[in-house]
Amino acid sequence: MKPFEYKAVHSVEEAVSVLAEYGSDARILAGGTDLLIELRKQNVKTPKVVIDISFIKELRSIESPNGTIVLRPLVTHSEIVTSKVIQQYASLLMSAASVIGSPQIRNKGTVGGNIMNAATCADTVPPLIALGAKITLRSKANSRQIDLSDLFVKPYQTKAQAEELLTEINFLKLSPNAKSSFIKLGRRNALAISRLSVAAILTQDKNGKITDARIVPGAALPVWRRVTEAEKLLIGEKPSKELFVTAGQKVSEVMISHTGRRWSTEYKEPVIAVLVRRALEACL
Amino acid sequence: MKKVKINTVINNRTYEFSVAPNQTLLRFLREELGLTGTKCGCEIGECGACTVLLDGEAVNSCLVLVPQIDGKEVLTVEGLAKDSKLHPLQESFMDHDAVHCGFCTPGMLMSAKALLDKNPDPDEKEIRTAISGNLCRCTGYVQIVEAINDASEKIKE
Repeated sequence: MKPFEYKAVHSVEEAVSVLAEYGSDARILAGGTDLLIELRKQNVKTPKVVIDISFIKELRSIESPNGTIVLRPLVTHSEIVTSKVIQQYASLLMSAASVIGSPQIRNKGTVGGNIMNAATCADTVPPLIALGAKITLRSKANSRQIDLSDLFVKPYQTKAQAEELLTEINFLKLSPNAKSSFIKLGRRNALAISRLSVAAILTQDKNGKITDARIVPGAALPVWRRVTEAEKLLIGEKPSKELFVTAGQKVSEVMISHTGRRWSTEYKEPVIAVLVRRALEACL
Repeated sequence: MKKVKINTVINNRTYEFSVAPNQTLLRFLREELGLTGTKCGCEIGECGACTVLLDGEAVNSCLVLVPQIDGKEVLTVEGLAKDSKLHPLQESFMDHDAVHCGFCTPGMLMSAKALLDKNPDPDEKEIRTAISGNLCRCTGYVQIVEAINDASEKIKE
């Protein structure tokens, strides 16, 4: 590992003031499961300063005030998996966190790091976008809240400024009649990187008609988004295999309209459609 | 590059170090402290050979920067035996021939310890999940799972 200056910060105030000083010369260290691998690469530009935020206690909590859930960025994947609140009101996020990496990775890796690293295969992002999550970015001079779905520019690039720190992720609890699911396709069971994934939420009324649908594929589009084109097909309908197959095909079409046909399309085109169907069936 | 002062507990002994920050906990344990029981495999968090306990939780020591152990407790495979007596997990691994080439063994033991500390009576699925971040390329998983199961019985007695 090439040399760098190391600064441990112990509060959000301290973090944003150090970030203001160093800007793009700094990298933020949280769980370290992505950053350490990067720091050890030979041909990568080493940051001048590594700012270690892992000691900031106020950034590691899960709260649920007034029908919302507030996740702080240093919450680890293991903590998401064991959280009663997440289990009850955002179970798709729990499912996603439970299949990230390995127990060792889940004990260190954080939800904030998963978001800000912005890898296309980040497993917590599709569920959070399906949940309509908003995030707070703080700098020394400013604090702003944006939709998580507006954060991403392209893989590994976000709209966050170099001096901004992610301090909060919040979303509404799912209503009791909403059901959710997350399906991940990897090349093996443990330590798998998502080839494709689907986060889905379905809400039905008393008569079984679908009143709300959200579908967010992972590792499929250049930037994550809800596939409203497919969601629209479901609203007002009663669940059936044919309906879910049609929705899956629509997601597949939308994916290709974004990515064009490339080497992996032959595989991804039918597979994403099936994953969408299965994810929707798992919401019943 | 400034050195960083840290206070830490490693295998139940308190230390104060002044460390270069650009090194992993894995390299620090092996190269500075001579604790070579922790193995260096892939160094990208995939193989689990470098697993240690950090405040009781299994982590890949190749993905921890040394200054991050400030104020925390580290347990390596060298800290498992007490008063020159092996830990029941270590005994059980020998009894079940759960050691083939031995390279994955320290990591397996630490993941197993983390599991049993939290869940003294795991079922087979829980054992398999607990060691899912540890690769054994001799593929001796069956004996390892049996050894952990047996150790959990012994610890309960």
